[in-house]
Amino acid sequence: MLTDELKKGSAEFLVLSLLEAEARHGYELQKLIESRSKGVLSFNVASLYPLLYRMEDRGWIAGRWVEKTGERRRRFYRLTPAGRAALQAQREGWREFVTAINRVAGARYA
Amino acid sequence: MHESYDWRADVRTRLAGANLAAEDESDVVEEIGQHLEQQFAELAPRIGAAAAREQLLAHLRDETFEDAAAGKRRRARPSRARVWSSSSLLRDVRHGARSLRRSPATAIAGSAALALGIGLTATMFSIIYGLLIKGLPFDEPSRIAVVKFIDPRQPGVDALVTLGDFAQYRTQQRSFETLGAYASATVNVSGGDRADRVEAARVTGGVLETAGVPPALGRTFGAADADPAAPPAVLLSHSLWRDRFAANPQIVGSSMRVNGLARTIIGVMPPKYEFPYNTRLWLPFQENTAALAVGQGPSVNLVGRLRPAATYDNANAEFAGLAKRFATARPTMNTHMRMVVLPFVRASINPRVYTLLYAMLVAVLLVLLVACANVANLLLDRAAHRTREIGIRTALGASRLAIVRQSLVESGILAAVAAIAGVALAQLGIVLFNRAVPPSSMPLFWMDIRLHPAVLMFAIAVAAVASIVSGLAPAIQSARLDINAILKDESHAASSLRAGRLSRTIVIAEIAVSSAILLASGFITRGIVNLRNIDPGFTTDGILTARMTLATNDSVRQRTFFETLERDLAAHPGITGVYVGNGLPGSGWSPRHLTLEGRAYPRENDHPVVSSLAVTPGFFSTFGVRVTRGRPIDATDHNGSTSVAVVSESFVRRHFRDGDPIGKRIRIGSAQSAPWLTIVGVIPTLVSASFNDPRPAEVLTSFWQEPRFDTGALAVTGNAEASSAATLRKIVASIDPEIPLYATESMTDLMRQPMRFFQIFATLFIVFGVVALVLSSIGLYAVMTFSVSRRVREMGIRLALGATSGNVIRMVFRQAAWQVGIGMAIGFLAGSGLVRVIGAALFQVRPSDPIVTILVAAVLGGTALLACLVPARRATRVDPVMALRTE
Repeated sequence: MLTDELKKGSAEFLVLSLLEAEARHGYELQKLIESRSKGVLSFNVASLYPLLYRMEDRGWIAGRWVEKTGERRRRFYRLTPAGRAALQAQREGWREFVTAINRVAGARYA
Repeated sequence: MHESYDWRADVRTRLAGANLAAEDESDVVEEIGQHLEQQFAELAPRIGAAAAREQLLAHLRDETFEDAAAGKRRRARPSRARVWSSSSLLRDVRHGARSLRRSPATAIAGSAALALGIGLTATMFSIIYGLLIKGLPFDEPSRIAVVKFIDPRQPGVDALVTLGDFAQYRTQQRSFETLGAYASATVNVSGGDRADRVEAARVTGGVLETAGVPPALGRTFGAADADPAAPPAVLLSHSLWRDRFAANPQIVGSSMRVNGLARTIIGVMPPKYEFPYNTRLWLPFQENTAALAVGQGPSVNLVGRLRPAATYDNANAEFAGLAKRFATARPTMNTHMRMVVLPFVRASINPRVYTLLYAMLVAVLLVLLVACANVANLLLDRAAHRTREIGIRTALGASRLAIVRQSLVESGILAAVAAIAGVALAQLGIVLFNRAVPPSSMPLFWMDIRLHPAVLMFAIAVAAVASIVSGLAPAIQSARLDINAILKDESHAASSLRAGRLSRTIVIAEIAVSSAILLASGFITRGIVNLRNIDPGFTTDGILTARMTLATNDSVRQRTFFETLERDLAAHPGITGVYVGNGLPGSGWSPRHLTLEGRAYPRENDHPVVSSLAVTPGFFSTFGVRVTRGRPIDATDHNGSTSVAVVSESFVRRHFRDGDPIGKRIRIGSAQSAPWLTIVGVIPTLVSASFNDPRPAEVLTSFWQEPRFDTGALAVTGNAEASSAATLRKIVASIDPEIPLYATESMTDLMRQPMRFFQIFATLFIVFGVVALVLSSIGLYAVMTFSVSRRVREMGIRLALGATSGNVIRMVFRQAAWQVGIGMAIGFLAGSGLVRVIGAALFQVRPSDPIVTILVAAVLGGTALLACLVPARRATRVDPVMALRTE
């Protein structure tokens, strides 16, 4: 199980990545994170929504009520241009982080 | 089936202490409620409803949930940047447009008022731009300048600069790239089928180079053409070439007669080129200019193009220095005369006209201000009707800035529509102005009044400022509303806002501005009427006049021509009165220096100026002028006999205050060689068609005692056939076909002409005044109507308690009278200032003239009364029972 600290740091990155392709609502985000991480990562309303609202306030994502025919009104989040830039930066940082870890941790086996 | 829970209620309870804005709270409740509901539906079948509910409630109880509320709360106070972000602005524009569509009356009235204001402003600015700002249609027109010798003590009366002065200045100055001298003249051109009078300019090198326009055909003057021995050359304007030579492309090299002298046509200038002034033909100065000393040679005007690096300040300093050095060479010149370098257009337009035009721009901006005030009032009215909406929006967390912006967006939409309509109105105004003042009637060939891009920019800027001016007051007022008061009682808050100090102040300002403009237009109209109704002191009805210039320099032949002309005219059947002279009364007086016998004049400028006219005895009978003392000029006053003069009463008042002028001797001009004239009679003062001095000191001399007769004027009375332009032309042609008769006009038209320009502007002023009056009375009407409708209940109670409808009407009027009274008092003070600016002297009216003031007050009061009448009558028709039942 990942520590809370690590989870917090990577949560924004995860949400940004998931919204990159299409707009999603909160419940969908929670389910996707859970299923794709095979249960390693999980969120509940108390951890997900503070995150979403913070990111929205920061201008990375934008929430909008959308009414689809035959479905109930839901709040969908999409990536803003600023969010896209943030995602790019985080991806870059993650890659560097992983490379660095590998250099340090993998050296023993080299 | 599992039980369902109202997760929303749980979320709402959880958020109770979070103190979120209502709108955000419902968002959060809905979103998280949905989430929990869906999660529950999935979880319950696996672990059982009770366990699922317990688990989810535990999530909800987690203290990190507080962060969600905190995140939302920050959003309730959006950053400044977000309020003005383009997407939310677009939303406001849509909202504004929608809400304006819902009240079309406001939208139409508001835009119409602003459109009128913007239209008038843009029209006025296009006139100023086309006449004063745009400048000459040449490269870098701001560098084209004139040099003048002025007397600061007598503005408008320039001292002469001679060709000799010019030669000295030209060689010593460094400021100008090109500097030339010219003298305007009217010349006779003949040869071919007819003789014509043409405006011409005699130019030195440097004048045509200043404009820098190449000729359409042939060449312009070169240095060789200025040689006194060179074959005489002439350069044609496009219009003269077209009218007189049928635009013959082979014209260069052929010859034409100018003032009787054959000259070779060397070139034709392009269309619309009339530099320096209204010139249709150019001749070279054939003088040995360089050999002339300071003070020698004919008098000229200087024009040139400044070097790119030279400023007007530098140039002025340089010429002032040069003038000081040359002053020693002209001891008779007053030392306070100054040499100045001025931009061409600025120097070419009478400073009074300058002031008048800018004063009119101020006046239309004031009209626009009235329009803005009206729109502000309309928006305040809307704000009052929407107090509940605004209150709710504020309560829901809309920031004051957002509400201010909403109001500004609405006034912006109105202004944008108004800008389009206003530009269309301006186009109409420009067409009407150009029709009233055809460019051909003005001697200012650069005048080009159109919707120039600069005018459009100006209109847009004005519209933008207008939208802020009219939107800001209501915006701030709405943002300042007390939310609690509004939500408790709409009508109270609304009326406290609407009938509030702001709205009343706006109406007072509107009335002040329109009374100021009305007062000004009242005075100007009065001035025009005064000028029209003035008794000129002579008859103008049924008199046909014409002017001519002789080609010959031989004074004997000149005299013979005029003697023959007078005799032939008198002999023509149907002509009853004949006058021949060197000018016509009204417009033809020439200003001259006066010398009184026995008085010393140390310097040239110490001589008083008089207006003189040389007349034949026919003057007195034709124009119905009688002498009040002594005798008129008669047939005995011909050359050889004692030179005589008849002076006007204004002359006597100024120069013979104590004593009889008859028998005294005067001299016209300051030259010692001028003959002494004995005063033989006194006539009443004749009005001169001049705005500067309509009653100058006048001297009539005997035409036949004049030494020369270069130019002449004639006037005849008689039956319609005999006193027609065709008859006069035929008679003149029968004496000398080379002499063109020009300016054939009735004396009545001639007297009216100088007034035309001012009449047009007076008309414009009246239009401004009426528009301002209409706008402000609409404003007053709106305020009174609203105030009455807010006081229906009070009126009902008063009527029920036995107040008569008269009492109620008086009450409404009393309220309006305050606003009208204060507004008028302020406006009259400002208005008399405006009248002073546009120059009481210009129109010969004193700004204290009580009749105009009373009339304007009556018109304003009457209109205000009318604006209150409808609301007041409505107040009396209030049914007490209905009124008390309202709400």
